[in-house]
Amino acid sequence: MKKINFWAWLWIVLGAVYFFLPLYGTLDFSLREQRGVLSFLAYQNVLNDPRFRDSFTFSTLMAVATIIVGLLLIVPTAYWVHLRLPQARPIVEFITLLPFVVPAIVLVFGFIRIYSGPPLALTNSTTTTNALLMFGYMVVALPYTYRSVDAGLRAIDVRTLTEAAQSLGAGWFTILFRIIFPNLRVALLSGAFLTFAIVVGEFTLANLLNRPAFGPYMVLLGQDRAYEPAALSIMSFALTWAAIGLIQLLSRGAPEQSQLGGVH
Amino acid sequence: MAFLELTNVRKSFGQVNAVESFDLKVERGELVSFLGPSGCGKTTTLRMIAGFEMPTDGSITINGADITYVPPNKRNVGMVFQSYALFPNMTVADNIGFGLKIAKKPSSEIKKRAEEMLALIHMPGLGNRYPYQLSGGQQQRVALARALAFSPQVLLLDEPLSALDAKIRVSLRGEIHSIQQKLGITTIYVTHDQEEALSMSDRVVVMNNGHIEQIGTPFEIYNFPKTEFVAQFVGTLNTLTAEVRDAADKRLVVDGQEIKSAHALDGAQVGEKVTVSIRPERISFYGEIQKVNTMNCTVENISFLGSIVRIQVRTGANVFYMDTFNNPFLELPKIGDKIQITFSAEAVLVLRQSA
Repeated sequence: MKKINFWAWLWIVLGAVYFFLPLYGTLDFSLREQRGVLSFLAYQNVLNDPRFRDSFTFSTLMAVATIIVGLLLIVPTAYWVHLRLPQARPIVEFITLLPFVVPAIVLVFGFIRIYSGPPLALTNSTTTTNALLMFGYMVVALPYTYRSVDAGLRAIDVRTLTEAAQSLGAGWFTILFRIIFPNLRVALLSGAFLTFAIVVGEFTLANLLNRPAFGPYMVLLGQDRAYEPAALSIMSFALTWAAIGLIQLLSRGAPEQSQLGGVH
Repeated sequence: MAFLELTNVRKSFGQVNAVESFDLKVERGELVSFLGPSGCGKTTTLRMIAGFEMPTDGSITINGADITYVPPNKRNVGMVFQSYALFPNMTVADNIGFGLKIAKKPSSEIKKRAEEMLALIHMPGLGNRYPYQLSGGQQQRVALARALAFSPQVLLLDEPLSALDAKIRVSLRGEIHSIQQKLGITTIYVTHDQEEALSMSDRVVVMNNGHIEQIGTPFEIYNFPKTEFVAQFVGTLNTLTAEVRDAADKRLVVDGQEIKSAHALDGAQVGEKVTVSIRPERISFYGEIQKVNTMNCTVENISFLGSIVRIQVRTGANVFYMDTFNNPFLELPKIGDKIQITFSAEAVLVLRQSA
């Protein structure tokens, strides 16, 4: 019989307790809005609040826009760096890591300073402020999105696939959209879900650009309600976990990307 | 005018000349192999024909049209890669039809052509599979079909069999050759495997250090190597240090024993040291056969290689090999035995140094 490793299991249990205990506490608290009974009243209150629906819809739309524009910018850049400028990879990686070093508060004050007056007075209208917010989200999500795309590109033989497509008559547009994007499916989905999770919970950029996003709504709710913020936290957790679960599910269904695989 | 012509092509990467003074004329329907060791410039030359590298100097024409600076997707040149390079997101049929789809051919024509190509590569009915569901040999056959499906002017193969195991390599080699013969497509085949080059090609271009050492038919390359490099690289070769005794009479001395060559000694002086080469299979035991040259030597080693037996012998400072066909009744000498060997004057080639 296989011997059970006591110490390994002890650390797993301790880790699980450390992670799940606060979560359980929050869940338990969120169910106690009605005195003496467990109920979903706090959840009902949140879901019936029109500000929840509006802010969540706004953030979802912003996340979708950020994902699309972000991937359209990052995939061709990362592809070109892999294909033609491999020596520039450390520089690009450094740039993509800057959002970890420069906090969102610095970024948004920079935005406000540059884009609040001529010649690029983007904060003067709702649409352009939304665009500014989207570009801000792109910067915040850049380290995650770039790394997902970069890992995806490393897993395929970019140069040979490009040359094979070129020898068959394909131009750059066709190569990107018919060969590169489809073969990065899992990487793109990982990047997309991570971006979604980041954008939906982001507070600083949305708050200082004064946009009705989900992050500021959560903070606002926490200031004057007790149980609803706990319910919102659990819902946010569920959403993030659903996104991670989807990544796992989709990557399991992806075909092998090995070029030299197979039985000879 | 030749169908594919490379004129004075040079390619440098910084200070390094990867290819220089490359001149080649390939006739329509010919299969020409570029053979040489790693880093000799054969793949760089192929990539210049494909358009993935631009020559530093010189020109490349196909069917009279200058394609030196034409982008790769406008050249109508099919290419097969060592790593297959099938598109993992597409089925076999989609891979084969990709070039035709780019050319905006109707879907019925693409489907018909894909089926034709699948029949040609002996994989009918496998069009719906994905590359990862195929073996390496099957993937490379699909890559070949894909490169041929859009009827390119020239087919380029960059070490297409290197990633396959020995048996598949031999069978696929024959298959590629027969398909090339059947379609009559002008083909350039890059390989470092001399057996592949010699067995498939109409002509072989032997390359070394970025330049051409020799261009010739497989027969010429093997039997009449022009440089020491070609002689050494293609097949097994004995090189012996000899001294010229009589240049006019083509007589030489190897370790005090006189031998005769049938080939001109090109103005060599008496007493001059030269390198001579003899293929192992051209040397026999004296007695079985008697030829113009005989030498006394000592057996140093005997290697059994299946169909042949390779015997290592020594004459003074020179150590060399002789090959004899294996048969169950073969009586072999023992290590340390003194034996006499014989070879013809035609077997003795006097080599010039590589450029």
